[in-house]
Amino acid sequence: MSTGARSVSGVVRDAAGRPVAQARVYFLKGPVALPDTALLTGRDGRFTMSAPQPGTYDVGCTSDAHGSASARVTVGNADVTLDLQLPR
Amino acid sequence: MATTKIARVNLHKSTSNDDDELTAVVIKKALSKPPAEGVNPKTLKHNAGGFEGLAGFRLLKESDVAEAFSAPDTSDLRDIAEASFGPPPPQAETVHGPDNRVKITTTSSYPWRVHASLLITARDNSRWIGTGWFIGPKTLMTAGHVVFIKNSGVAGRDGWVSRIQVMPGRNGASLPYGSVTSTTFRSVTGWTGSGDQNYDYGAIILPTNLGNTTGWFGFGVYSDADLKASVGNISGYPGDKPVGTQWYDARRIASVTSRKVYYDIDTAGGQSGSAVYRIINGGRYGFAIHAYGGATTNSGTRIVTAVYNNMVAWKA
Repeated sequence: MSTGARSVSGVVRDAAGRPVAQARVYFLKGPVALPDTALLTGRDGRFTMSAPQPGTYDVGCTSDAHGSASARVTVGNADVTLDLQLPR
Repeated sequence: MATTKIARVNLHKSTSNDDDELTAVVIKKALSKPPAEGVNPKTLKHNAGGFEGLAGFRLLKESDVAEAFSAPDTSDLRDIAEASFGPPPPQAETVHGPDNRVKITTTSSYPWRVHASLLITARDNSRWIGTGWFIGPKTLMTAGHVVFIKNSGVAGRDGWVSRIQVMPGRNGASLPYGSVTSTTFRSVTGWTGSGDQNYDYGAIILPTNLGNTTGWFGFGVYSDADLKASVGNISGYPGDKPVGTQWYDARRIASVTSRKVYYDIDTAGGQSGSAVYRIINGGRYGFAIHAYGGATTNSGTRIVTAVYNNMVAWKA
């Protein structure tokens, strides 16, 4: 990763709007090759990932209890916020 | 003409969060270390084509992928499942073409039990998932970014991770070999200092000899031509599947460079650190450490001589 990383952070929520803990959050697609890890959300459903370069990223999220979701976010020269809502 | 001497920096210089444990090993023989199958391995038979003999698994050919990409245009047709579950997520780019991954259910047998589900706690207490694989009684290989986070841009996150919970052969909630927590890690300065993807590899050192039970993979240094003619096998713990389940795929190696191996073997976030391995006379041998998902291809850090030498030292 370059040192110009920007953060993509937000909250994962269930269909009722409640924060989901221990959901797996991971990049699906980005402008460069990305580490193939996944982050677990905290008890408050929060996550903070690192986007190594400006560009468009697809972020995926999976929880066994609440299903999967994804969203697209464009990262420029500042940190960005991305909230994800799971289908169940 | 005056000449300038350029200092050569060894970016494969081994580094650790426990410097007292570092040792140097000089390699004088053929660059291949054998696998071991551990106790009561119930080893899966492999396919003569160089991949695992799993029921229901078929090695995709180039023509299969081309066919999948040239399917009739049904983009205007909505999946019936959308009525119940909403629109599907976009195709994961770490899955290229049809998703060929197969779930492993016999995770307590060899070679599956060599792979471990990793729960990583970083310095900022963020938690991550990854994959590691045994190369000796106490040592698992993984990606460098699994043991040392570099250039995250997040305050307090960079550096050696605090601890990693290692769960070999995990199958969901089942831990056939229990769980061991490690706080001792290895990587190289090319990753910890420079953050260079070409040096993105590391190791986890366990406080127990659990590898004697699970067995381990061999590993070796192979030529470009040899690798390009090989089938690469990857098994690991992706985050887009039910928690803690192991998934496998195999495909021919797409290309190699002096420090990386590229392939279209399907993976997802959580599989960083998996072995990219081949099967030689029934033995499993790692030749790269899976590390990155890309838009068109996935990649791992190639086991070249310097990597091999460090693995031998870390395995000791």
